Amino acid sequence: MDINESLQRAEQILSTWAPVALHPSPERVDVSLPDKWLKAAVLALRDAKWGYLSAITGMDHPGTVEPVTEEQRWQRLENEGENATGGESREGTLEVLYHFCEGAAVLTLRVSVRYSFPVLPSICGIIPAATLYERELSEMFGIRLVGTPNVDKLLLPDDWPDGVFPLRKSFHGLTEVEKSGPEVKK
Amino acid sequence: MSEETTSNAKKFIVPIGPQHPALKEPGHFEFTVDGEIVTGAAVRLGYVHRGIEKGCEQNTWVQDLYLLERVCGICSHSHATAYVLGVEKLAKVIVPPRAQAIRTLFLELERVHSHLLWLGVAAHEGGYDTLFMYSWRDRETVMDILENLSGNRVNYSANLLGGVKYDVDQKQSDEIRKGIDFLEERTKYYLNVVTTDETFLGRTRHVGQMTLEQAQALDAIGPTARASGLQRDVRVDAPYAAYTDFPIKLVTANGGDLEARFIVRINELFESYRIIRAILDNLPEGELTARMPRRIPEGEAISRVEAPRGELFYFLKSNGSDKPERVKVRTPSLCNWASVTHLAVGHVLADMPMMLAGIDPCFSCNDRSVTIRKEGDSQAWTWEELRRYGIEYYK
Repeated sequence: MDINESLQRAEQILSTWAPVALHPSPERVDVSLPDKWLKAAVLALRDAKWGYLSAITGMDHPGTVEPVTEEQRWQRLENEGENATGGESREGTLEVLYHFCEGAAVLTLRVSVRYSFPVLPSICGIIPAATLYERELSEMFGIRLVGTPNVDKLLLPDDWPDGVFPLRKSFHGLTEVEKSGPEVKK
Repeated sequence: MSEETTSNAKKFIVPIGPQHPALKEPGHFEFTVDGEIVTGAAVRLGYVHRGIEKGCEQNTWVQDLYLLERVCGICSHSHATAYVLGVEKLAKVIVPPRAQAIRTLFLELERVHSHLLWLGVAAHEGGYDTLFMYSWRDRETVMDILENLSGNRVNYSANLLGGVKYDVDQKQSDEIRKGIDFLEERTKYYLNVVTTDETFLGRTRHVGQMTLEQAQALDAIGPTARASGLQRDVRVDAPYAAYTDFPIKLVTANGGDLEARFIVRINELFESYRIIRAILDNLPEGELTARMPRRIPEGEAISRVEAPRGELFYFLKSNGSDKPERVKVRTPSLCNWASVTHLAVGHVLADMPMMLAGIDPCFSCNDRSVTIRKEGDSQAWTWEELRRYGIEYYK
């Protein structure tokens, strides 16, 4: 099937939820969605038999932290002069990319969640094969998927500490305390 | 067994693995059984998880090529190719046609060795060890070809960012042809064996059947999907490297059972032999590499490659520096697990090893992630240190 035809059909199917579509390259179309419409959009794609779910990618976008001490604030004023914004902080977000493929065409649904509320609806009810991708996503990025059938560990060790997500940018290895968790018997 | 006894009976869970569930790699499965019949299945992976995706973010674009080639020993070149194609897309570098053709040559030789390896393993799971020994003996032919071309049997390291490392000369080309002629004869014999041998058919025919509708619903890919008649092959759908110049004929079968998966993979071997010969006959002249910038421009790229087991998916994000922001690898085996856990239901327990082997699972594929070194630790070990570590470890 023609690539452009596939991409146009995808845009048409999704136009109800996301009027703006981006074309990062000729064979791709990217659509950003609010999380509440994710399931509806996936269902519409399935009903229209558009392609198959190829992968789910997680991405971490750490936020900027407001300077905490008086000294840091002064430092900032000195560095940025009059343009200093007065220490705005931006909360980090986690972005999830659902890649669908049909022939050579690749459609990406992009959904973002905030660090403080990293929750997304599961799409396993619509696409059963997504369960392994969702388990990987929640382990590596700490996103809670509501309604996913299995939340057991898939890839990380059984004694991996709770609340540590290795693919977040802030992860640089386990601390000694985390390594020798309470279960370890000497 | 009457309805009542089943509903009152307690659930029995049979654990298979982590050691040697089907292949000689670790994975853990829990099959819930009612007598001999499987009623549910669950999977647990990660026993060889190495943190490669995280590791990629800490190394440069060039170093990552070597890291990613080591995701899997069987389809190492597919990983490297998916990665370099993505990086070249980001850097907007056009790779010379000769380099693309040699990449494709390696891809198809890799498919030959992978399918022959699988044929042996699957035969072994079916209790047909003679076929296992035959196919692994013959597989040495293609391993020798790969070693002759690159100096390596497993991680050929043929790719560079912007091209390939190795050229193919006339002498090597003749040797490849000779090897391929021999393998083609052997492959005809294998096709005959797996479609006519009564005892073997008892293990494969109508076992693990997946209909076209199921394959679509479970998003199956690769030979597993094509054995159910699903027309899905990245080489055909979205040709990459030199597949536009050397088009592949799509190979499918309609049975959807294990026998069909044998037939699809064996017929794909013939197609690979044809493409290898075509590439050797029409190898374009010219350079082997194009110049690559050290810093890769900001952007995102998706690259897809048909690895021996199915579609391999790479998502790359660059932040404009010499290190990637994100490298996502989705390997074919991960997609096909869903088909096993769904299709297992209703089969007898004894068929499970065969069904697991049927999708040609690759555990290294699924398990990628890092040993975290402490600050100041030396990265290079001396022979003495390594020896001491080994002695300590096995004490």
